[in-house]
Amino acid sequence: MDKGGKKGAAWYKLDNAAVMYSAIQRENYSAIYRFSAVMTDLVDPLALQRAIDRTMPRFPTFRVRIRRGAFWCYLEPNEAPGPFLKEDMRDPCQPVRFREDDGWLVRFFYYGHRISLEVFHALADGAGALTFFRTLLAVYLREMGHPVPSGAGVLDVDAPPPAEEQEDAYSRYAKSRVRRGMGERKAYPCKGTPEPFYTLNVTMGLVPLDRLRETARGYGASITEYLAAVLIESILAKQRREGRRRELPVALAVPIDLRPHFPSRTLRNFILTVRPSIDPELGDYTFPEIVAQVHHHMRLHINRQEMQAVITRNVMLQKNRLLQLIPSPLKDLSMAVSYRLVGCRPYSTTYTNPGAFKVPEAMRPHIQRMEVILGQSYTPRVNCASISYGNTMEITFAGTVKETDVERDFFRHLVREGIHVKVISNREEGLPDRERS
Amino acid sequence: MSYCVHCGVELDPTARTCPLCHTQVVDPQQPVDTELPPPFPSRREEVPPVSKKEVALLLTAMLASVAVCCGLLNLLFLHSSRPWSLYVIGAAVMLWMWLVPPLLLRGMPLWLRLGLDACAVGVYVYLISIDLHGLEWYLGLALPIILTGGAVVVALGFLLRGRSILSSLILIIGGVGIFIMSIELYVDRWLTGRWQPGWSLVVAAVCLSMMIPLIVVRWRPALRDEVRRRFHM
Repeated sequence: MDKGGKKGAAWYKLDNAAVMYSAIQRENYSAIYRFSAVMTDLVDPLALQRAIDRTMPRFPTFRVRIRRGAFWCYLEPNEAPGPFLKEDMRDPCQPVRFREDDGWLVRFFYYGHRISLEVFHALADGAGALTFFRTLLAVYLREMGHPVPSGAGVLDVDAPPPAEEQEDAYSRYAKSRVRRGMGERKAYPCKGTPEPFYTLNVTMGLVPLDRLRETARGYGASITEYLAAVLIESILAKQRREGRRRELPVALAVPIDLRPHFPSRTLRNFILTVRPSIDPELGDYTFPEIVAQVHHHMRLHINRQEMQAVITRNVMLQKNRLLQLIPSPLKDLSMAVSYRLVGCRPYSTTYTNPGAFKVPEAMRPHIQRMEVILGQSYTPRVNCASISYGNTMEITFAGTVKETDVERDFFRHLVREGIHVKVISNREEGLPDRERS
Repeated sequence: MSYCVHCGVELDPTARTCPLCHTQVVDPQQPVDTELPPPFPSRREEVPPVSKKEVALLLTAMLASVAVCCGLLNLLFLHSSRPWSLYVIGAAVMLWMWLVPPLLLRGMPLWLRLGLDACAVGVYVYLISIDLHGLEWYLGLALPIILTGGAVVVALGFLLRGRSILSSLILIIGGVGIFIMSIELYVDRWLTGRWQPGWSLVVAAVCLSMMIPLIVVRWRPALRDEVRRRFHM
């Protein structure tokens, strides 16, 4: 935790990931993601607003606004009224403007049975946001008259927020002797025809978790590895259809939660990405071979030592004396350029799987399923995310592209494997890709 | 429940088409449910594009005040016999043309933006030529060089779109070679009345000798990969 000394002047330094997310912020791009819970009953907006008001003070790292300092941006407590619950809209994850909406970096929406939370990635990663969301849902259910005890992932909103939840865990673990660089090759960009400003097309697939697990096990892989392999196969097919003279590797950015590897209670960012990839120039891969590649890549690279070396490199870069002296607008500009070269170019798309959303027994009957949406990409392409609740795995493709080819091939593959898929989407109906331009 | 005949996925009861392949749902057993609410809201709410009028206004005010103050100082108090303020006014006009139109005109075409930038340089040099009584060298030498430079930059602006770093480098070196040759052409024409290529040919030869190996590297995958590896491209 990094706080100012005087009471009322508390502030937080941005953590290592947040520095990048705030720097690459553009007029029409923000690193925003959304978690939604589809409840059994219709949502009561008044009770939900009360729940938001009760929950927010317990999570000071969410109740902040971003400010630009001379050399770095920083977070300071947001004393403005709100955040206020809004009716949901067609295009989720709209960009954040730091000076608008009273500076709030979290948003709340409701639609029918669905409660949605949108978070600017500079505040928290998926694990931190899910802890916040789980607690919010528990408080909401209490407001609705259902007794839900604290514990099992639900934080006590009356308890003071412990300092460990606000720590910058990257700095704590940046202690490796080796600093591991990145310098990955350019990957197939997987771009499509961009939609007009600002349209986010969302397609969700609902899949039975037990059947999915069984199929993944059939390939000797975890669910994340299996779904990543299906996604890579779909993107490889897209690239092949384009008939490129020389095909580029297809690589995914798969965020990994570092908490199981480096103990921390932080609710802020604490993730790194691994990069499973397939290079089609080496030859055609069968699907089991793709799964094997992804499986072995992830098992090989997700280890404490290697990840600590990457954390150290990233944090040391942030602590470099020379870099610290560069004024923040210049720093943001150079980081935005380096994000294009290092953060964006080596990946075809992002696939994230925060895993199973676990709640206390008392909450289970009130939630039908969970949903996750990754916001607009820096380039026009679809991102993929999945989350499971009970026996339902929800897989979302979201992007600002007109075409549906990647998600179509993805879900058709699952159907071919005998997995039942139910698809819902916010796309306007009835127009094929070629007529929608 | 309806399924897509092409994708094999189950569809929402409210869906008229498959979201994946846009095939129409035709299920006489279970027609599309128009009573149920759709899975996502249809209400659109877009974040309006950021208005840059205020920034443009601020920049205009700053540049105009500098230009007007210098103009008044020149006219009324300091060396009124010589229009030295034209240097400052010219710089202010040039900066205004570079910075303000792109802020006001969203989605301004690249050729127009680069063309305006070149024109701004032309205007600045013209104001300098007034002070130096050099309209002759301005029209005969400076203006053609500025316009050619502008044309080369506009052409590069078009050609460099979506190119790799190597291809961009090849085109930029080619553009520099052409521009240098045109400078000698205008200088010769201005001084002697006819073109006698000399020093610019040396520069052009150097540019060509840099371009040819780069073209070879660009088209040979093994060499290209080697360069990317060495330079982390």
